[in-house]
Amino acid sequence: MFSSNRTIIFLLLLGVLNAQSVFNAYGLGLSKSTHHTASAGAGSIGLVPTFHPGVSFDNPATWPGLQFTYVSGSYSNRSIEIGSQVSSNYGNGFDKIQFVIPIQNRFAIGLSLKPVNDHNAYFKTDSTRINFQGRDLIFNKEFRSGGGILAGSFGFAIPMNDRMGLGLSFDKLFGSSRDEESLILNSVHYRLFNIKTYSGSVFNINFAGKFYDAKNVIVTGYARISMTREPVSGTQYQFDLFEDINDNYSFDTDDYPATIDVDTVKVSNIYAPSSFSLGLNAGFNNDLNVFGEFQLWTDQAINGKYTSIYKDQIGSKSHVGGGLVKFGKMGARSWQDRITMRFGIFKESYLLKNSGRKINEDGITVGFGYKFAATGNQLDIAYRTGARFMTNDYIESIQEITIGLSLGDIWFLRRRAKQ
Amino acid sequence: MNINILNTTLGVCLVGLLALSACEEAAIPVGVDNTPITLDTISFPVVKAIAYQSPPEMGKTEYLYFGKQDGFDFQYNLIKFDSTSVTANTPFSYFNDSLVVVDSLRLSLRFDKDSIASDAKFQLRYFPSGGDSVFNELESNYLNFNQAIASEIISTAQMEADSIDTNKTEVYLNFTLDSSIVNAFRDTSVLEYNRSFLVELANESSESFYFHSTDIQAGKQPELTVFYRQFLSDTVVLDTTSRSYLAVADISIITPPPISYEDSTTLSVSIAKGLKSIVFVDMGDWTLPSKSIVSSAQIIFNRVESDSIAQFKVISHPMTSDGDYERFASYTDDPYDEDLNYFTSTILIDNVLKINHRKVATEIGHKNFTNLGFKLQSSFSNDPFTTVKFYGINNTDSYPVMRVIYVLQ
Repeated sequence: MFSSNRTIIFLLLLGVLNAQSVFNAYGLGLSKSTHHTASAGAGSIGLVPTFHPGVSFDNPATWPGLQFTYVSGSYSNRSIEIGSQVSSNYGNGFDKIQFVIPIQNRFAIGLSLKPVNDHNAYFKTDSTRINFQGRDLIFNKEFRSGGGILAGSFGFAIPMNDRMGLGLSFDKLFGSSRDEESLILNSVHYRLFNIKTYSGSVFNINFAGKFYDAKNVIVTGYARISMTREPVSGTQYQFDLFEDINDNYSFDTDDYPATIDVDTVKVSNIYAPSSFSLGLNAGFNNDLNVFGEFQLWTDQAINGKYTSIYKDQIGSKSHVGGGLVKFGKMGARSWQDRITMRFGIFKESYLLKNSGRKINEDGITVGFGYKFAATGNQLDIAYRTGARFMTNDYIESIQEITIGLSLGDIWFLRRRAKQ
Repeated sequence: MNINILNTTLGVCLVGLLALSACEEAAIPVGVDNTPITLDTISFPVVKAIAYQSPPEMGKTEYLYFGKQDGFDFQYNLIKFDSTSVTANTPFSYFNDSLVVVDSLRLSLRFDKDSIASDAKFQLRYFPSGGDSVFNELESNYLNFNQAIASEIISTAQMEADSIDTNKTEVYLNFTLDSSIVNAFRDTSVLEYNRSFLVELANESSESFYFHSTDIQAGKQPELTVFYRQFLSDTVVLDTTSRSYLAVADISIITPPPISYEDSTTLSVSIAKGLKSIVFVDMGDWTLPSKSIVSSAQIIFNRVESDSIAQFKVISHPMTSDGDYERFASYTDDPYDEDLNYFTSTILIDNVLKINHRKVATEIGHKNFTNLGFKLQSSFSNDPFTTVKFYGINNTDSYPVMRVIYVLQ
C-alpha cells in the first residue's frame, strides 16, 4: 500500500521541477502568479489579453474570443542566483497544459493542469564548530524540499450580454511534497523526511467587459475573484531522525537505529487561498494595448501546524503590474506582422504570517509570439528578469525563459454547408 | 494533411519536453539561524567505579593451555566431541552394529609450534559416570569443577612431529585409546552421552604448552578418530576405515595468580585473572527529547600504562542489577548479569577507550531502561593473559566520563 503511494508521490513530484529558492521553504512555498507563456511575456497575472486580441488563456471569461480550439503548453526554464554566489541554480518544468474549446464565439469550455505553488528549495548552512570538552565538533545542515500542489482545472465561459462575459472555473488542488532535513556531523548524515499529500479545491469567477469603445481606443476591464471551496487538507508522514550510515538518502538496514517510527498525521485547513484581481486594458487601433493589473491574494488557512523547513508561512501577496502588448495578425503577408510583442513590469510583495517579514519581488518581462498555419497556431517565448529579496536577508536574481506552443484546430465552429 | 503532421510533431515535442524535466542544483548557502534540526551535547560524570574478580572464563580462548606461566597454573583441559562424524554424519550408535568392529580410537591435539622442545608427558581421562553433561564451556572454572569425577588415566602421550611435506612439520599430541572407550559412547541408554575428556600434564612442569582449541580461527581443532572394520559376512571384511569427530567445546581450567595492588585499585580487565570492572554514570533525570537521535554516548577511559600494546578490545554491557562499589572483591561467581541486547565491543586506540553506549543511552533517555551502571570485561579475542588497567574516578586528570552528542528536531 505504502509502496504504491510512494510511486504516486514520486510521479507527482516529477511534475513540478522549478529552480529552487530559499523562500520556497516557507510553508508551502511561493504561489505562482503566471502560468501561460503569453501572460509571462507581459508580466501579467493572466487577467488581460496577451495571447490574442481580447483573449487570455488564463482568463476563462475571454475564451469565447478564440477563433479555434487550442491545445496549449507552457514550459519554463529558470535560473536563480543567490546573492554573490558564483554558481546559479537551474530548474525547469511545465507551467501549464491547457485545452480550450470556443463554441460559436459565445461560449467556451476548457481544461488545464498547472502548478499552484513552488516548493523547490535546496540550501545548506555554513559549518559550525563547537568545542565539547576538548573535542571539536564540526557540523552543518542541509535542507531540501520539492513537489507541491497542482491544480486540475475545468472552466467555462458564458456571455452576460454583448459587452460582457463571465468565466467560471473550478480548480481541484492535489499533489504531494517532500522535505528533507539533515545535519552533517563529522561527515555523518542525520536525516529526517516529511512527506505530505494535499487535496482541496478552489473556484474562480472571472469577468471581462468592454467599457469604452471609440474609433481609436477600446477600454476593457477584467476581474477575478478566487475563493476556496474546500481548504487543502492532507496527510503528513513524518519520519524520525536516523543516521544515514551508507549515505544513500534513504533509510535501510545499514542505518541506525534499526527501526524508525513514522507518524501519520491528518492535517486539515492548511492552505485556503483567496484573491481579488482587477485589470484594465486600453487597445488602440494600431493593435497596441496598454494594460495594468492589481491583485490581492491571501491564504486564509487556520492550521499552521504542518511541517516545513522554515516554520513561517506565506500569508498574503500583492501584485501590481503593467505593460504593453502589440498583437500580430494571423493573416498578414509579412512574417514580421504576425509577431506579437509584449513588454511588462511588475512588483509583488509577499507577507509572512508569523514574523510579518516581507519578501519583495520585481520583474521586467519581454515576450514574442509568432502565428503560423491557418488554424492560428502560435509559438510564444517569454523572458523575465528580476530580483526577489527579503530586507536584510537573501537576494535572488531571477532569469526565466518560457516557451509556449498553442496548436489550433476547428471544433464546434460554423462551417460552410456542403453544396 | 501537412498541418496534421506538423501538429503531431509539435505535440510529441511538447510531451518530450515534459518528460525530460530536470534540474541542476547547487545548494544555496544560508545562515544557521532559524533553521530546524540542531546538535546538542551533555556530559555525565562517572561517580562510582571499581574492579572485581571472578573465576577466569577461558572457554572461548583460542588455545588450550598446559603447565605454568607468569604465576598462572594451567591445571587441566576439558574437551567435548561432537556426536556425529565430520564426514558421513556417522553417530556413535553406528558402532553398535554387530558387523562393525572398532579397532582403536585416537584423540589429537595440534601443538601451537612446529617443533618439539620438550619431552613432557600428557595423560588422558574421561567421564564414564559423567551423565549427559560434564562441563560448561562458559561457566566451568577451577572453583566449580570437580576433577575427581574423571576416570583413571586411560592413555598417555607425548608430542610427535608429523611431516606435512618436505618443508612443513606439524606437531601433535596423539592419544591412542582402547576400543572399549567407544562402548561407553555408543551406549544407547544415554542418548546424549557426554563424550568428554580431561587432558593434563602427567607431571608438574614450569613450562607452558599451547594447543589449538575449538575457537581458533586458523588452525586445527581437537579431533577424535575412530578406526573400525565392517564385516560384510562372516568371512568377508572390509579394510579398516575411520570416522573423525571434532571437538565442539573445550576449556582450560586455570588458577590465576594473586591480584596485585594496581589491579585492584584501577579499573582493570583481564580474562585469565578474571578481572572485570563496573562503573556507574550519574545520568540523573536526563530526558532525551523525543524525535532525537543519539550520535554517540561515549564512556571514556584512559589507560594507566602509556606503552603500546597489541590490539585490545573491551566488551561492555549495561548491568541489570546494582553494583557494589565499596571495595575490590573476589567472587566465586560473577554477581553482575548484563543485558546482552546492548553489547558493545570497543578497540583501545592510543591508550584511550571510548565505549559508545548510544543504544542504551537512548533507552535511558527515553525512560525505557533503568541505568544501573556498566560492566567492562576483556574480549575473548584478546590475549587472555594481558591485563589492561584504566584510571578510576580518583584520578584528577584522566578520570572516566560519559559524553553524549545528540541531534534533535
